[in-house]
Amino acid sequence: MNMIPPFDVVTFITAPWAEAWESSLWIVVMGFLVNAACGLVGSFLVLRRMALVGDAISHSVLPGIAVAFLLSTSRSSGLMVVGAVGAGLFAVWLIEFIHRNTRVKPDAALGVTFTTLFSIGVILIALYADQVDLDLECVLYGEIGFVYFADSFALLGMEVPIPVLRMAVTLFGLLILVLLFYKEALVTSFDPVLATSVGISARWMHYGLMLSLSVVIVFSFESVGAILVIAMLILPSVTGSLLSDRLAHILMMSGAFSALYALAGLHLATWLNCSPAGAMVVAGFLIFCLAWIFSPRRGLLAQIRKGRGSFTPDVSGKLNPGLGIKN
Amino acid sequence: MSPQAPPPLEIHDLTVAYHKKPVLYGIDLVVPSGQLVGIVGPNGAGKSTLIKAILGLTPPSSGWVRIFGKPYRSNAKRVGYVPQRESVDWDFPVNVMDVVLMGRYGHLGWLKRPGKGDREVAEACLEKVQMLPYARRQISNLSGGQQQRVFLARALAQESDLYLLDEPFAGVDVATESAIVTILGQLRARGKTLMVVHHDLTTARNYFDMLLLLNMRMVDFGPTDEVFTYDKLQATYGGRLTILSQVANSRSQKEENVPLGR
Amino acid sequence: MHPNYPCRGLGLALVAGLLLLAAGDLSAAKIGDLSDTRFWDQLVRFFSLRDPSLRYTLTASLFLGTCCGLLGSFIVVRKLSLMGDTLSHAVLPGVALGFLWTMTKNPWAIFVGATIAGLLGTVVVHWIHTTTHIKEDSAMGLVLSGFYALGICLFTMIQQLPTGNKAGLDKFMFGQAAALSAEDLWMIGIITILSLIAIVLFYKEFLVTSFDFGFAHALGLSARFFHYLIMLLLALSVVIALQAVGVVLVSALLITPAATAFLLTDRMHRMLIYASLFGMGAGVAGAFFSYLGNNLPTGPFIIVAASTLFALALFFSNRYGIIPRWIRNLSRDRRIQVENTLKAVYHVREENAFSHDGIPVKALGDRRNLSPSEVEKEIRQLVRRGLATLEQGEPEPPPSPERKLFLTASGWETACRIVRNHRLWELYLTESVRYRPDHVHDDAEEIEHLLGEDTVRQLERRLNYPTRDPHGKLIPSLRDLSQTPFAGRSG
Repeated sequence: MNMIPPFDVVTFITAPWAEAWESSLWIVVMGFLVNAACGLVGSFLVLRRMALVGDAISHSVLPGIAVAFLLSTSRSSGLMVVGAVGAGLFAVWLIEFIHRNTRVKPDAALGVTFTTLFSIGVILIALYADQVDLDLECVLYGEIGFVYFADSFALLGMEVPIPVLRMAVTLFGLLILVLLFYKEALVTSFDPVLATSVGISARWMHYGLMLSLSVVIVFSFESVGAILVIAMLILPSVTGSLLSDRLAHILMMSGAFSALYALAGLHLATWLNCSPAGAMVVAGFLIFCLAWIFSPRRGLLAQIRKGRGSFTPDVSGKLNPGLGIKN
Repeated sequence: MSPQAPPPLEIHDLTVAYHKKPVLYGIDLVVPSGQLVGIVGPNGAGKSTLIKAILGLTPPSSGWVRIFGKPYRSNAKRVGYVPQRESVDWDFPVNVMDVVLMGRYGHLGWLKRPGKGDREVAEACLEKVQMLPYARRQISNLSGGQQQRVFLARALAQESDLYLLDEPFAGVDVATESAIVTILGQLRARGKTLMVVHHDLTTARNYFDMLLLLNMRMVDFGPTDEVFTYDKLQATYGGRLTILSQVANSRSQKEENVPLGR
Repeated sequence: MHPNYPCRGLGLALVAGLLLLAAGDLSAAKIGDLSDTRFWDQLVRFFSLRDPSLRYTLTASLFLGTCCGLLGSFIVVRKLSLMGDTLSHAVLPGVALGFLWTMTKNPWAIFVGATIAGLLGTVVVHWIHTTTHIKEDSAMGLVLSGFYALGICLFTMIQQLPTGNKAGLDKFMFGQAAALSAEDLWMIGIITILSLIAIVLFYKEFLVTSFDFGFAHALGLSARFFHYLIMLLLALSVVIALQAVGVVLVSALLITPAATAFLLTDRMHRMLIYASLFGMGAGVAGAFFSYLGNNLPTGPFIIVAASTLFALALFFSNRYGIIPRWIRNLSRDRRIQVENTLKAVYHVREENAFSHDGIPVKALGDRRNLSPSEVEKEIRQLVRRGLATLEQGEPEPPPSPERKLFLTASGWETACRIVRNHRLWELYLTESVRYRPDHVHDDAEEIEHLLGEDTVRQLERRLNYPTRDPHGKLIPSLRDLSQTPFAGRSG
């Protein structure tokens, strides 16, 4: 197979920064911002065992985005956000509706809902290809590679691409939200009953989380597509949780991981000439595997060294992911 | 003197651990034939774990279990099992008859389907638990007591010699409880051996011939009159064994984690 | 009724599919090559089955519907739906590696690669879950997106290759049933028949391991073996469905028809058959719309068709549908209204010591705290149901509030029955459950409409055939009914 170019350390490191260094810079910045924002929201999803709700929403926003494109010919981000957030929240509501009103289990309700909405989105895009400025490849793996070529905005003497700016504002807003509501988010994730008893509405926190999740997903969508975004939601915090027990540490670590993913992904993508968004997730997955094996306290090696067998496997083979739905 | 028949259940130095945390320590037990045995102990004493370990559902860390002198796999047909009611999804698309027929599966070979004979056995078992009129009902439309009766009928359909029942009296009505007790008595009268996980001390004394007091360790095992004493119950439910459980906890937590985000 | 041979009907459908295939000339152009896009022409072409490649597509849809419906039913009842989703995304790098292996779109190489990748994905989920504290949902999300990302990297690399662009690998993303080749069809057929055989042979083992894993193990069955067998078949069915439905949506072909069937039936063998039929229907419908639109991706259309069936079942299923249940609730509420009105009539008559047969409409309104127009409505309900008659008065509105209302025999009987239920229950609560007499009324208000005759008999026996309720009022028993001076007015 002559598909993989020969590996050369110097080229691997310098190639992205040689000629099109500006493009590389913005890819890394955008990659970092997307990963960090997703990681921030994702930590709370993972904590609440709702990782797959992220999956559902990331697929479900597609029809919202497509309809927004149909209604306004330009890429007006306001309408897009409204459409996508609407579709995302609709999906959450629909899953609950099906689960509550019938005996269909939450996992199946989730599977039915998001695939349906996603299909509608794909059909809209395929049918109105000339009116929707979004192709199916973008849905699949995003176009972060072209972020430099997006419209830009002069800021402090620099031409900042608008998607980057948008993502930066989103991340900033999220950070403020997390700082403001850290305590509430933590207690509602850990013990909703306790939260209610001390006067924190677990329901509002739930919908607040879903709302921020939808917003983050919409802005990440163009860069990384509908499916890779799931990895970015889960990877940073799960990798962090292999290394630490404290949520605050995990959140900080996921920020650092985000930068690492973005940088490693860019180099990987330049070397192999493949999709940068895909490469970032592959890099993240590899880092996760390293943490899984070598984590000093929880790694596979640590478990073997202590001479302990593995965890008792779950014999039933049944999975019961939480979906944030109270029965 | 003829060679003695092997006991229905023999357990030797059985230790079971969940997620590295031992829940049962070195259990030694020989259950004689034709006895109705109650397994009694506080919450988290490992009562259900013992049943699961006997069945091989939870692999033991050490020790062994023999059923009529053989490992479980070779004598599975001689064991009937009533799991906890919550262990299954009652929305599953089967009716009462289907569930009871499952008791016959152990007697059918591969590729065989339950035949007319099996249906007759299943109907007779349903009759015994007074559930025959409900044979065609979907299982989610049953009350808790009725669900438990169906599980009992399924175990009866297994036509085994040793029965293991996990909390058959949990959450059932008075009528069902007395019906189950009657059936257990009939089974014992036919020479079957029964082991029943039970959580209610007030009735344990009347229901069972023998009691197994369990709290991570086997506290005692013997005829109810000898075992059901203040001292022994105190040893089972009282404070003495909490140290053992604390040690087990801290031992597992040293390498284990505190839950995420505390 | 007999749970045997759940797949007999399916066998017939499959044979029909095969005949359809055999009827055609296999060497015709693919649908995608058509230049004709006129709607009516396409419609006619579709239904005349003139197009041999269309026959391919339809046959494939029938097979895939069967296969995915059968296996999907098992994963839905085992709550493994999201495992199907994980598996379907995890096959992607395998598809790419299978392509790189032969450098052509060789279906067998892709099949092997995809199956291995899919199984590896499920194994990794299991490993992560069993060796760390990470929960299943996160583990599935990780594997799903991690494997998918690897696949995306490989795909974008392949597209740079000289042969890459012609590979048509993008068809694996959203599916293009029209691009199915004869070899693909063979593969689909073989896997479907294998799954069918496995499920027919091991139906009882699959059933018991899915329903009650512990019990299956206790029976001496190798529950684990059957679990892995299902997972293997699942992986195979995902892989064969890739071409037609695409990586992203193949899980829906497993879940949606099965979830639809789950809303319609309470027996596993019927669920298997329904799910297969829905799967087939969705497949054919998807192929149809994709054909009309000329070369649109098939997957989304198949899924939307399947979801439409699901929505229909969700709303209209006789057993679990939302609308039938809503109607049942509505008619129950109306019955309770009527019964409450009848009870009010009883109470009014009781106040008069049953001296007058008819009661003024106004008294009824006062008793139930209703406005005159509401009372009129209630009375119309009673009259329509043949439970009461109105005194003939001036017919034109406004109706006089002094008109008299008479209950018919059946109306009177119902009124007595409700009052009896109410008072019996109050008595039961005070006597047997030791409620205080002033705490029992509200509970009895609800229970009176729900008590069946059997329960009433039991209550009467238990309370020793009482005649007075805790408030000292008469409990009308059916025995008394015939002796009451009033025996109703017929018409």
